[in-house]
Amino acid sequence: MSGITISNLTKRFGSNTIVDDLELTIDEGEFVVLLGPSGCGKTTTLRCLAGLETPEGGTISFGDRTVFDAKTHTDVATHRRNIGMIFQSYALWPHMTVRDNIGYPLKVRRKKEALRSGAVDKAAAMVDTGHLLDRYPSQLSGGQQQRVAVARGLVAEPDLVLFDEPLSNLDARLRDQVRTQIHQLHQRLGFSAVFVTHDQSEAFALGDRLAIMKDGRLEQCDTPQRVFDEPGSDYVAAFIGMGNRLVLTRHHEGWQTANGDVLDLGSRSPERGGADEIIARLRPADLHLHRAVEDAPHGSTVLHATLVTTEFGGRHYDVLVDVAGERLTLQADTREHGAWLPTAEEGAPVVVSFNPTDVRTYAADPARSAERESVAV
Amino acid sequence: MAAVLAAPMSRIRSRGWGGRIGYLVLAAALIYMIVLPLYRLQSLAFADGARGYTSQYGRDDIGEVIWTTVQLAFFSLVIAMVLGTILAFATSRLPRKFAFLRIVPVLPIVLPAVANVVGWAFLLSPGPGYLNAAMRHLPWWNHLESGPIDIYTPTWIIILTGFGLTSFVYLFVSAGMASISAEHLEAAQTSGSSTIGVFFRVVLPLLRPSLIYGGGVALLLGLGQFTGPLLLGSNTGVKVLTTEMYRRVSESPSDFAAAAAAGSPLVVLGLVVVLGQKLLLGDQTRFVTHGGKAFKSAPVRSRWAVATIVVYGIVALVLPLIGLILVALTPYWSSSISWGLLTLDNFRTLFQTSDIMDSVVTSVVASSIAVLFCVPIGFMIANLLVRGRRYPVIRLVADLVSALPLGIPAVIFGVGFLLTYTEPPIILYGTRTVIVLVYIVLMIPFATRLQMTALLALGETYIEASATSGASSFTTNVRIILPLMRPAILSAVALMFILLTHEFAASLLVRSPTTQVMGTRLYDLWANGSYPLVAAMALLMTAVTGLGVALAMLIGGRNVLDNL
Repeated sequence: MSGITISNLTKRFGSNTIVDDLELTIDEGEFVVLLGPSGCGKTTTLRCLAGLETPEGGTISFGDRTVFDAKTHTDVATHRRNIGMIFQSYALWPHMTVRDNIGYPLKVRRKKEALRSGAVDKAAAMVDTGHLLDRYPSQLSGGQQQRVAVARGLVAEPDLVLFDEPLSNLDARLRDQVRTQIHQLHQRLGFSAVFVTHDQSEAFALGDRLAIMKDGRLEQCDTPQRVFDEPGSDYVAAFIGMGNRLVLTRHHEGWQTANGDVLDLGSRSPERGGADEIIARLRPADLHLHRAVEDAPHGSTVLHATLVTTEFGGRHYDVLVDVAGERLTLQADTREHGAWLPTAEEGAPVVVSFNPTDVRTYAADPARSAERESVAV
Repeated sequence: MAAVLAAPMSRIRSRGWGGRIGYLVLAAALIYMIVLPLYRLQSLAFADGARGYTSQYGRDDIGEVIWTTVQLAFFSLVIAMVLGTILAFATSRLPRKFAFLRIVPVLPIVLPAVANVVGWAFLLSPGPGYLNAAMRHLPWWNHLESGPIDIYTPTWIIILTGFGLTSFVYLFVSAGMASISAEHLEAAQTSGSSTIGVFFRVVLPLLRPSLIYGGGVALLLGLGQFTGPLLLGSNTGVKVLTTEMYRRVSESPSDFAAAAAAGSPLVVLGLVVVLGQKLLLGDQTRFVTHGGKAFKSAPVRSRWAVATIVVYGIVALVLPLIGLILVALTPYWSSSISWGLLTLDNFRTLFQTSDIMDSVVTSVVASSIAVLFCVPIGFMIANLLVRGRRYPVIRLVADLVSALPLGIPAVIFGVGFLLTYTEPPIILYGTRTVIVLVYIVLMIPFATRLQMTALLALGETYIEASATSGASSFTTNVRIILPLMRPAILSAVALMFILLTHEFAASLLVRSPTTQVMGTRLYDLWANGSYPLVAAMALLMTAVTGLGVALAMLIGGRNVLDNL
């Protein structure tokens, strides 16, 4: 085994192309996260890797072993691919104890040596379920069930571990616990993994590399840090938390909003000769609220806005403001703004500032911006 | 769109030719067993310039026969739909301490149709019927010599048939109710609806698919009704298509062509309903999900629910049983009971008559063997229907053919089998084998549908989890699917055993004087007028069924019947 290679993978359901000529490699020991909204083809890609779907075209190789090749009609059955898979619904068999569930991959692969040497106990201990071995799945909590499922997926030391949104059915607290556990296990055991999720925080936490998918294709594939710092497209930026979007047009002193503010985007300003209309993307945390222009820090870029709503969020307020018809969200510190913000009326004029280095700009594409609406996270 | 819906359902495929060949053999066997007898009937009816049709439909009384058939089906359907729905709603509203009453609406299934019919005859026969005799003590009826009720009239045949179909409608409707979440009802109640308002505004509209489906099945069963009209209507000239078929075959010389022609409207209607259901429901049934909390936990408990179910239990089960027990314990049946003369002699006679005991053995053996064959056959068909998306043609054929025996009356299969297996190349007349074969055919729809429902409920991920763990599809079947389906399979076994030990219509045609089953032997006793023995035999049939069900419960746990 030395890595997984997917090339030209295409999967259609009827006339819908779900996975479109996809190229992706997973190095040995690498943890790749497939990230994207529902319907982008990430789960289908995972299921093609597992052999649970038969693609229409392309090849999949595990090391130098081809498990799927549309041209030669090679299609290695799921149970011969030496994989482990963890499902969103846990999929622990209710008629078997935890011990039998975890031991199943060893039993059906006739790994008697591993069974004798206590691999089941070791795998259970790895995910802190050693004391649950004689219980049935129905007697476990959701978090315990998913940890058992992780142990079952890893026990046979498969070439590739597939995670199909394994944390989606867990409540927020358990989700973080199981996520941390998966991360630790990967660091310790170094298995190759593909993890499907629509949750950017899971993706950032777990992935060695993120593959962001759109319409069956890779939109960007890079390390979490790079994806976070330099989203490759407006779509990626929107998906990984840069929810605030401003359409700007070229002005001789910089870039202009629809309500006439002229912005200096500094080093983030696209070069001359490019598009005359751009989309600026900003994270809510990078926007700051002020009562007047004078309050904004020196050197920051300033926007005139009106207040829409304010929600109390503990340490901060979640504030929605309107800038020339575009809605922006931001967070305002409770201590700083508590005196006036809760009583401010809708439509009250406010000022929003940001540091020009925090903005990311993309060429405006009318078709794309329409699509983005359905991807809003 | 359909393809997109289909996508998540696409399965772990068997990647070779093995699966295709296996399914082809299965489909061929189904066609041979189910379609061939029907085909032979039709080719006979159309022979000699459709002589069968001209003979059957040239008769003076054919209009009356068809009209009686339609009336019987329609009015008994109305009774069954109303009662079945009320019962299903009532069982969902039982107070906790009366929860055990939930079993009552399905219990009449344990009472064979023949036993039910003769039990009521003992109660409501115009002369010696016990209830009639009791009613004649009432001041306004004390001048009557007989009556006031005559069970041998079409009206009462319809009422009894309606009662018999109620349990079937109940099964469909209560299954539908299980998929209505308690929140739907609570939402209606908190919006200010009364119990009756909830029923008409929320429950009934949500139940529409189950009502249509259950109603379709009940209509077909009503059209194919045989036991009631034959036992109660023969002497008073009540004729329906099924009894006409039986008469044309059993008269001498037997006229198979005319019998086949008589059954044709029922075959056509059965085909229409089976195809119609496929078109209307189509693949939707494959995507039924039972989300939400179960219907049971409605907060308002109604006392009327207990009363309704108790009254139904008394009328559908207790009264006919009392009739049977009284007659079985008397030396002869008369309107006055001589308590001093009660005796067990009838049972002694029963046990000492060797051909009666033979019929019990034949029933039990033939039913058991048929069930043993049906479970794997049904499992294979269910697998093909649920997972066979790569064999669309074979799958469609299997789907339609396996549903036919539910749509087409058992009498017609009886005549078809009699015709097919009294002639070369395979002559099986008078053997237990032909009984087993016809039983298998009759039970294939039940074996298939019950296991298919279980397979669908199982979902995909358990199976995918097994495959990704490295298990072949054989290992997955043995270690994952079969253990998880055990309760459903045992329910199917229990239901099929009940239905087969009660089987009467098809058995009456394929039996021979020396190879009888319980129901046909009972009919002979009835035709001879040996009423006390009939009663004892009916009780024996009930007891045999009861033992079978008890055995199923012993193996499968107490809730075997709950899964029906």
